[in-house]
Amino acid sequence: MKKLLLSAFIAAGLAGRLCAASAEDSKIFTPFFDMTLSEAAFLPSEGNIFSGGNINTQVGLLSKITQKDQLFALYNFNYSGAGFAPQDSKQFTDRSMAHGFNLEYRRSVTDRIRVRPGVGFNRGYSRTGANEAWKNGLYNMNSAGGQLAADYIFDEGKNGYVTLQYLLRTVTFPNYTDLLREFQDPANRASVNGGLQDQTMGQVSLRPAWNKFFGGVTYTVQNYKNQKVVAASGVYGDTKQKDTDTMLDFGFHHRLWIFEMYPMVSYTMHESNQNFMKYKFLGDTAPEFAASYYNFKEMNLSVPVDLNITSKWAIGGAFSIQRRAYDKRYARNADNDFTTEKQVNTMTTLTGSIRKRINEVAMVRLFGSLIVANSNNKFEKYMPYNYTGNSFGLAYQLSY
Amino acid sequence: MGKIMKKLILILLALFLVKSPAFAAIDWESKGMQIAGEIIANPAGFFYDFQQDLEATTPLPPGKSFGIQTSLFPTTIPMTYTNASLKVRLHGEGRIAPGVPQLDLIGGYWDMLAAKMATKDSETVDSAKFGGYYAGAIMSTSVSPRVRTFWGYKRSVLKAKLDFKAGQEPEFLGTKVNSFDTGFKDDFFIAGIETPKGINKLWSIQLNYGLNTQTFSSKVSWYGKYFELGLNIFPEGVLVFHPVWNFHLNF
Repeated sequence: MKKLLLSAFIAAGLAGRLCAASAEDSKIFTPFFDMTLSEAAFLPSEGNIFSGGNINTQVGLLSKITQKDQLFALYNFNYSGAGFAPQDSKQFTDRSMAHGFNLEYRRSVTDRIRVRPGVGFNRGYSRTGANEAWKNGLYNMNSAGGQLAADYIFDEGKNGYVTLQYLLRTVTFPNYTDLLREFQDPANRASVNGGLQDQTMGQVSLRPAWNKFFGGVTYTVQNYKNQKVVAASGVYGDTKQKDTDTMLDFGFHHRLWIFEMYPMVSYTMHESNQNFMKYKFLGDTAPEFAASYYNFKEMNLSVPVDLNITSKWAIGGAFSIQRRAYDKRYARNADNDFTTEKQVNTMTTLTGSIRKRINEVAMVRLFGSLIVANSNNKFEKYMPYNYTGNSFGLAYQLSY
Repeated sequence: MGKIMKKLILILLALFLVKSPAFAAIDWESKGMQIAGEIIANPAGFFYDFQQDLEATTPLPPGKSFGIQTSLFPTTIPMTYTNASLKVRLHGEGRIAPGVPQLDLIGGYWDMLAAKMATKDSETVDSAKFGGYYAGAIMSTSVSPRVRTFWGYKRSVLKAKLDFKAGQEPEFLGTKVNSFDTGFKDDFFIAGIETPKGINKLWSIQLNYGLNTQTFSSKVSWYGKYFELGLNIFPEGVLVFHPVWNFHLNF
């Protein structure tokens, strides 16, 4: 679920980047290259040291066919390694990898209006700490679909524009199997492997940007093709699962004297018609029903600041917080019983870093972070909810 | 200023290490067991990471027709991978027609000296063969006077075979190991970018991605007239960081 939302937001973010890449007047072909790489060691308060990294590579080519027509092709490789993660998202040792291909046609209708139809394909792999082969990942995912975007440029001098975009994706999970159903009814393969996570995803976004300020509203709908909603009786009913996300976000990237700031804030409302049956242990004959278990409101705030001491060196500091409050999910105590409090998770990260600009296109950063994760959910048999951790590592970025 | 900043980095790093409340809790023994287990689970993958260290996957500098390279660390020392690589330029950028990229052929071979010595002298090893090769092509194109991007393909092959003499089999994690015969081969896609760091000094970062095995690495390199210093990162490998030192000559 989290992964899919992430891919949706990446799709929205990618659209922004696609829009940002612009052709140089004198050239027919303009390449686009961005590679970021980070690797860090993680020391959690519970458990042993581990390492993990992130790689994001975007390579693209913008072709100017005529003065009004352009074609933009982009390949995106993303690897997200082991690391600390917000509660209810993934295990520390889970990793994922994705290949994305986007092809976009741009047509300038007038000096101020541009339309951008496009197609996109994505292949995602997942891997747990068991180190299974990438091709066998339970949450491996393929998606394909199209987009239609329109830009209205209102201030050419300060790069001010508004983008309205509609995006549609068909998503399949070829390896997904419902482990609980497999355990309960091993003979019934159809209900276990019948593409339970397969879905269509639609997304509408309206995003204005001006003078390095940006923001917007993004509405995402996930319609499950086969997954049914579990009823209070404990069996799946006839209603298919449907999830929606409404996200508002705002940020900017500005310099003030030696300070370079790029804060970002977002607020997400997640709603799902799916409910939950809590089995206290395997074989529990009296499971507890929890309605609207997955609905939540989430706030993300990150405030990174770099102090440019010289043209080459900068000292950086960053504060980020993620707070998720569930609408109806009650927190559990250490014995796996629901309490009377609604579950609230927070994860706060403080980062200190030193950045060296190698030249106009490349930089390296050494960083150290302190992570504090808190939750009123005290049932931590399978996933940590309350922990502290340190991480330190290095990151490279090269973009053209 | 540079010296002060470097000192500051060291002090901060030292502080992170000393101040970390979790640092004392590191269980190095279990970490060692985990690493050993990962090597046993996929020995070819472990040895192939070192092959990637010796593979010359950056383009020839503009104006050079061919180049030779041998990797010194961590390949020859301490892994005893004796190795040689060759790059040959098929055509320079813009020579045939304006805008046509430079095209280089690349390839190399390695053989593990320790495996040969073990077969000859050891009382436990019956036969051993560790070696590999790679071949491919790199296309590079300038996107500005100071930036080149490069794209490539390589085919990498590794063979690792070890037989122990009967009655002399070692035990590893409680299991008797008779022999292992493993290998690795894959077709890789390469994408990278290169930019100057000083006079005759270049800096590059690249991604190598194996299409069949999903093996991937990121290579960060600094290179001049004779030497290349690198930091190869294998996020899914047993040893994530490989500091690299290579010797090369380009003509």
